[in-house]
Amino acid sequence: MSQPAEIVAEQLTKSYGRFLAVDHISFAVPKGAVVGFLGPNGAGKTTTIRMLTCFMPPTSGSASVAGFDVFHNSLNVRKNLGYLPENAPVYLEMRVAEYLQFRGRLRGMDRQSIKKRIDEVTELCWLSDRKRWPISKLSKGYRQRLGIADALLHNPPVLVLDEPTVGLDPSQIRETRKLIANLAGLHTVLLSTHILSEVELVCQKVIIIGRGQILAQGSPEELKQQCAQRGSGTRLVLEIRGPADQIRSALAALPGVDQASVVSDNVVCTIELVGKIDGSMRERVAALVQQRGWALREMRSAGASLEEFFVQITDPGSAAAA
Amino acid sequence: MSTTLALAKREIAGLFYSPIGYIVLAIYLLFVGLLFSLLVMRPGAIADPGPMFQWNHLILIFVVPFMTMALFSEEYRSGRIETLRTSPITDFQLLMGKFLGAMGFYCVVIASSLIFIIILSLFGRPDYMTVLTSYLGLLLMGMLMVSIGLFFSACTQHQILAAMSSCVTLVALGILFQAISFFLSSALGVSWSFLRTLRHLLRYLAIEPHMANFSRGIVDSQNIVFFLTGAGLFLFLTYVVLESRKWR
Repeated sequence: MSQPAEIVAEQLTKSYGRFLAVDHISFAVPKGAVVGFLGPNGAGKTTTIRMLTCFMPPTSGSASVAGFDVFHNSLNVRKNLGYLPENAPVYLEMRVAEYLQFRGRLRGMDRQSIKKRIDEVTELCWLSDRKRWPISKLSKGYRQRLGIADALLHNPPVLVLDEPTVGLDPSQIRETRKLIANLAGLHTVLLSTHILSEVELVCQKVIIIGRGQILAQGSPEELKQQCAQRGSGTRLVLEIRGPADQIRSALAALPGVDQASVVSDNVVCTIELVGKIDGSMRERVAALVQQRGWALREMRSAGASLEEFFVQITDPGSAAAA
Repeated sequence: MSTTLALAKREIAGLFYSPIGYIVLAIYLLFVGLLFSLLVMRPGAIADPGPMFQWNHLILIFVVPFMTMALFSEEYRSGRIETLRTSPITDFQLLMGKFLGAMGFYCVVIASSLIFIIILSLFGRPDYMTVLTSYLGLLLMGMLMVSIGLFFSACTQHQILAAMSSCVTLVALGILFQAISFFLSSALGVSWSFLRTLRHLLRYLAIEPHMANFSRGIVDSQNIVFFLTGAGLFLFLTYVVLESRKWR
């Protein structure tokens, strides 16, 4: 994270009339990192991305990409940027290679390097066998890949991908994630998505946005911790063979446990602990159960997933309570 | 320059890929053929294709809007405008690419009428210099018509709306203004100076008198200036519409 930032947003704001779509957000994407931009639908992800890619100007605030200001130096920003818009719009009547060639010409590449890069990106995006196909005949997944190939064509230092895995089948999603993870280091990638597992798998940093504001940012691990510190996030689920009432009261007496409740009681009882769950807590629980002579069958922490955190902080009700 | 040409090339190709291009071409040829057989190819008449060019705009005002309607509207509607505007091209390059592309197709359309010149030359000896000035006139007139179509296409994401607006504007320039000025001069006798000024103005804005000179072999700077300033005005307005996203 000591690397200089490749994408910087400062107090970036966009309002449509009286509706504030993006509300003074600031963040930085370090060079060579893959950063996930996460938020529910209508959170302002696409609007933010559109401002970063010079498609629309910010109402106030500023942003820079690859060291160039998006408003005052937008041509240089766009030269250094590969952008996959939502739904990857393309010219349906063109053929794959023809379209990529057109896009290369728009970026001022010469014929030789266009030809070379078309071979490379079609290979990279599993399109080599579809090069001569009319785009109108391609399935949604292939069009999406064509969009990614287009974004990579001029080998830009910065990539902005708006929901790159939408419309792909599971194996393609996996391949695409692998592709994106491989881009890290060579490219700086800002990836918007509302799929959490995607972020956990490929991103070094996550920015969660909701109602036009940044709700949280950090690495997936940091966010999980943050989630645990909020208390309600982490629960410890135990499966123990023994008398449920005794087990519950014994566990509830442990320091750090706020609440212990029996989930099911059927010879083997399942008990849920809520409190400050950390490493030593688990050890103390195990020691206690062993000391009493009960049989511990399973112990797992639940709810520390990003998903829970995401739902928690993007839900307006719980945000107001926090 | 090469990016502008890449855009223009795609635009011409786009029109040839879609059925619209061929429909436009077919309708144009049909009606020019009608003009040709009614006004030019008459028994005993001299081999003068002039009338075919003089009234050519009556066809083009209904044909050009369908050529130009998709130029920007379809980019807006499909979202491709986002890939275009996030590419390193300026609004001016985008505008010129679209304009040149549409003009390229327009040239193909008017060149298709050469077939009638060939037919005519089989039966007589038309004045080829006049034919040349006529095509120069058509080209200049096309710049005005295409830029009007381009402007309305940049204003909306609905192709039909763009086509209708440019059609109405072109009908005003091609038919309405001349009809009104004709009405003012004949029916009212024009004694009132305001009406006289209005009549002159409308007559200046009408396409036909400008085109008539070219079709007679006259290349008058007044006519050239009319078409070029008109095209320049609408290209400028289109540019303003494109730029407006920066302060909207």
